[in-house]
Amino acid sequence: MSTELRAELFKQRSIRTGTGLFGAMLGVVLLAVLLHGFGLAAKNIDSASGQMTILMPGEIIGTLFAALLGALSITGEIRHGTIRPTFLVTPSRVHVVAAKVWASMLIGAGFGLSAGAVAAGVGTAALRVRGIGVRLDAGDYALAIVGVAVAAALWAAIGVGLGAVIRDQAPTLIGICAWLLFVENLLLGDLTNATIGRFLPGAAAAAISGQKPDTRVLAPEFALVLLILYAATAAVAGCLAISRLDVD
Amino acid sequence: MIEVTGLSKSYGATVAVDDLSFTVPPGQVTGFLGPNGAGKTTTLRLLLGLAEPTAGEALVFGQRYRDLDQPAHRVGAVLESNDFHPGRSGRDHLRALAIAARLPISRVDDLLDLVGLGASAGQRVKTYSLGMRQRLGLAGALLGNPELLILDEPANGLDPAGVYWLRTVLRGFAEEGRAVLVSSHMLAELAQAVDRVLVIDEGRLVAAATLDELTEGGRTLEAVYLDLTAGKVS
Repeated sequence: MSTELRAELFKQRSIRTGTGLFGAMLGVVLLAVLLHGFGLAAKNIDSASGQMTILMPGEIIGTLFAALLGALSITGEIRHGTIRPTFLVTPSRVHVVAAKVWASMLIGAGFGLSAGAVAAGVGTAALRVRGIGVRLDAGDYALAIVGVAVAAALWAAIGVGLGAVIRDQAPTLIGICAWLLFVENLLLGDLTNATIGRFLPGAAAAAISGQKPDTRVLAPEFALVLLILYAATAAVAGCLAISRLDVD
Repeated sequence: MIEVTGLSKSYGATVAVDDLSFTVPPGQVTGFLGPNGAGKTTTLRLLLGLAEPTAGEALVFGQRYRDLDQPAHRVGAVLESNDFHPGRSGRDHLRALAIAARLPISRVDDLLDLVGLGASAGQRVKTYSLGMRQRLGLAGALLGNPELLILDEPANGLDPAGVYWLRTVLRGFAEEGRAVLVSSHMLAELAQAVDRVLVIDEGRLVAAATLDELTEGGRTLEAVYLDLTAGKVS
């Protein structure tokens, strides 16, 4: 493990931001899955694809919080001025951003794994409590848990890249929330042609987390490649932006 | 140890640093003076690779700062008194730097004791006073036992005992053959600590001489400074 990566992981561990985000994420996932599990009509969740919708808050909230964590790792340093000592110790800014990407991906994967597991466990329990037969198989659960972990890790990298490009903390965080919670839903929904929306990064995360391939999302393997490309592009853009930055 | 040649930095039409050239030799404390907005902090940022010059070069140990291998082992620097995450403890701030700089973690507690923060090392930085933050910043700069210290207004917020302590540290540092470049507005205090003085105004060097040369004839550093900068308020 590189020294820069060790330093980044230590930085994340030594403040309460990550723990706070993690706790908030679990709480929101729990609430959303319970609302879906007990609120949706039984006829809408008696198939495997219907039951996957109960688990989807794990993907949406897991990727969102992982992206926020990634963005905070760089915008927090800029906001608090710790970017100065960071660059004084490690003048190679590409190494600093790369370490933030890897550290955020590792922690983001943990976020996604936890969100996916909580959603799967609570969602399944809700189905059983309501007496609805569970139609999900091992493959579905694997996608709902491991797929979310992978999607969250890649979105954490996107968060770092966006944070490095935008730099200002509030617009970055608001932009990520708005994009994942509203903008993509509009593009993926009825307002525009879904053939465009399914190629967007939020839809790709949904696809690799178990939504059944249909007209609205891509096949998981294709979505995975696409999301890796998005993450790599964001990380490279972040490296370029930070490399050219005059630090005040 | 520092060699600045023809250094310039412009932000659009505003010239912050204008064709600046100076050196900082080993074994001396060099004071860096100038009115607010004269370009002192910009010069230090250019020197430390935090900003790119428009023209000229700033070399540390014959290289650009960014090209130094393990820079924290050779150069210690503090540019702001508040470069800390408020939710991180003083000890963890230094630990993060030590890990990134590949320095032994045991150095952290030694430095915290040296700067008088041993008892409050576990507290979060948001509970620290300005003087404690200055001491923590200095501890970070000294972490790698560097040969060169670059400090921007290190005495701000220090009480009289802290100022005396800082002067002792800087003098001791120079007497070991190492170099210090320190900017400050506390002229009377600076006069007790420096060997040489650089004065800049509107981005240009207006004086570079030893303290003895500048204060020849019994003039105070303050009087000389006010003459050189046409009495601009610092």
